[in-house]
Amino acid sequence: MTPALLGNLSVALALAFSLLGLALALLAYLQGDGRFLKGAKALAPLTLLSALVAFVALEWALLTHDFSLAYVARNHALQDPLWVTLVTPWAALEGSILLWGLLQTLYAFVASRKPLDPWRASLVLAVLFGIQVFFFGVMATIASPFQTLPNPPANGTGPNPLLQDHWMMAVHPVLMYLGFVGLSVPFAYAVAAMVTRRYQSWVEETRWWTLIAWGFLTAGKVAGMWWSYEVLGWGGYWAWDPVENASFLPWLLATAFLHTAIVQQARGAFKTWNFAFVTLAFSATLLGTFLTRSGVIQSVHAFAEGPVGPAFLGFFLLATALGLGLLSRVSREVRDVAVFHPFSREGALLLGAFFFSGWALVVLLGTFYPLLVEAFAGAKVSVGAPFFNQVSAPIGAGLLLLMGVGPLLPWRRARKEVFRNLYLLLAALALGTLLGLLRGYTLGASLAVGLFLYNTLAVALLFAEGVRARRLAGLSPWSFLENRRRVGSLIVHFAVALMALAIAFSQTYRLEAEKTLYKGQAWEVAGVRMALQGVRALDEGRRFAVEARLSTDRFGEVRPRLHFYPQMNSPLPSPKVIYTPGNDYYFLLMDFDREKGEWASVRLVVTPMVFWIWVAGVLMALGTLYILWPASRPEAAREVSPA
Amino acid sequence: MRGKYLLGVLVILGALAYMIFGGLGQNLVYFLTPSEYLEAQAKYQNRPVRLGGLVKPGTVQYDKDRLELRFVLTDGVAEVPVLHKGTPPGMFKEGQGVVVEGRFQEGVFQGTNLLVKHSEAYRAPEAGWTPEDVRKLIQEAK
Repeated sequence: MTPALLGNLSVALALAFSLLGLALALLAYLQGDGRFLKGAKALAPLTLLSALVAFVALEWALLTHDFSLAYVARNHALQDPLWVTLVTPWAALEGSILLWGLLQTLYAFVASRKPLDPWRASLVLAVLFGIQVFFFGVMATIASPFQTLPNPPANGTGPNPLLQDHWMMAVHPVLMYLGFVGLSVPFAYAVAAMVTRRYQSWVEETRWWTLIAWGFLTAGKVAGMWWSYEVLGWGGYWAWDPVENASFLPWLLATAFLHTAIVQQARGAFKTWNFAFVTLAFSATLLGTFLTRSGVIQSVHAFAEGPVGPAFLGFFLLATALGLGLLSRVSREVRDVAVFHPFSREGALLLGAFFFSGWALVVLLGTFYPLLVEAFAGAKVSVGAPFFNQVSAPIGAGLLLLMGVGPLLPWRRARKEVFRNLYLLLAALALGTLLGLLRGYTLGASLAVGLFLYNTLAVALLFAEGVRARRLAGLSPWSFLENRRRVGSLIVHFAVALMALAIAFSQTYRLEAEKTLYKGQAWEVAGVRMALQGVRALDEGRRFAVEARLSTDRFGEVRPRLHFYPQMNSPLPSPKVIYTPGNDYYFLLMDFDREKGEWASVRLVVTPMVFWIWVAGVLMALGTLYILWPASRPEAAREVSPA
Repeated sequence: MRGKYLLGVLVILGALAYMIFGGLGQNLVYFLTPSEYLEAQAKYQNRPVRLGGLVKPGTVQYDKDRLELRFVLTDGVAEVPVLHKGTPPGMFKEGQGVVVEGRFQEGVFQGTNLLVKHSEAYRAPEAGWTPEDVRKLIQEAK
């Protein structure tokens, strides 16, 4: 048995099981026969097992340096450290698709265990098996991770240096895939609900699934931002790169759904919106993958390119057509209540839905505009980050306003006592903005301070309200913490406000300075005094490193580096970042004296508040976890367990 | 009520459209070769563009103490002097395909961002570069 044989066999098995599962699930729906459904359900763990074996086969090939596999020869080298070898399955296209397929089978397995009426269960499984057929079909044909080479090399080139330069690469892609793949389950639920015309009850389960995917997507994006910050050496964390944008779209749409779903649960409205958000969020994940893999649009993620672009485009069109086709029927059959009182929670949520979809539309347009211009005018253009920043700032501010006031507004119509809270909030907003202006911040940054104060107060008011209600009911005030959905969402809302503040400040106030220093020469900039002690080169086996030793008055010795990988022509910067709650100090080695090590060009980027972006990211993940923690649903658990 | 509601939607859509098309118009960054720039100089005066071409051999001057990189960007027909503040990127050398982002000021292209385009596949044509060759090189390079 060789890894290639085992891998090819398990991919073929996974494909066969998925095809069979798809057929059985469809038969179960069409014939209304429970035996077929049982068969389809039994295939879910088998597919998971096959995919898992295929994944293990790839790891096996990597760990045993089996260079007869094309994937191993291209993405692995003998001198790779163990952790790099272990994460190499998602360092390139074929392995990433295998990981995607594995996670897809995992989600399908979990979904198949969830209690659901047989009609919808068959359709959910049919959709999920259909998606698996696509992935394993791609793996079995155009992007096989187990293709063998007739003349295996003695050593490979190793994974792309950008990926092995930071351990975050072990985490970011897996989180992103967990998020992307997670959105396929809500899509399956939505399709099942639309086909069976159960327009109301699907929202509750789907919300839970969407929240899981959303949590992973959020964590994955923040991890990616951090990777970009620490590896790309430009001192920024978000570049409005097409692939960043493409993964921002499903996030926006999923966020929108998590909010509009509340309205459907409480008031039965927004049915069409909810189907649309879930369908489009899933399509957007495929569109994003198409962009990453096809090279249609230039991007920093171009290393993931491969021949699967057209396949993903086709699958994207198919899934979107299916979703939109069903959606048009829903919109014909459902008459949503579309008129709300503006000062009500549903009014705020409707406005929020507009903002989220507007934002998604703007990002989509900005991302694809270069293609449109090239197709119609023939000119080669790119849409700069200023465009995205300009349109995102007002939309973001609008959403931050809604985020504070929305949860405080009651359903249907605001009562008098609510207005007292509104005045308090407005006072906080005005006070914060004024304070910011008095401290000499720009209008945008001052407004961000105001919005942060406003949202913090809103969270505090909601918390106090919850605690008071418990106390009035004779319960312990701590029991408010058991309202996991409320408390978790308050944590996330606070984190969003914090992140917005940190983004506003880090984008507005950024200081950059660069200088060529000679050995022993001192330089004082941005409140830091540094002197160059020397430049030295280190042989680290898989790469050469050159580091400048800088002695500083505040941070001791700082050593920014440049990494030279044999498979890469240009050096990779490895900045040294000093995180402090106020400012981040980002030291970069730009250039150095190759002959004698007598001088080095050093750049210092000082950015305020970046630290808090990562704190907010962790808080967002924790808040989501708090809502999802199983103990939070004892009643729900009792309902489903056989009595 | 319905009318009021519709009006609100229209206002939002209008604002959105204004933001998108106003914003796009101002923030489009054109990708040009030096000849394309010289044909319509007035159009690109003082707005950011991305200029693609080759570093003309013998024109590179780098002052590491002032961190000033000067070179001439060519597409075989037209030439543009470039001033880039900062260290040259790792792969920067004479004859290399590069893309400079920046704007024209007083006859010199002031670069703010310098990207080296490296292509293994594309070789120099025998008869010398034409703007079309350069354009192809830059676009095909990763």
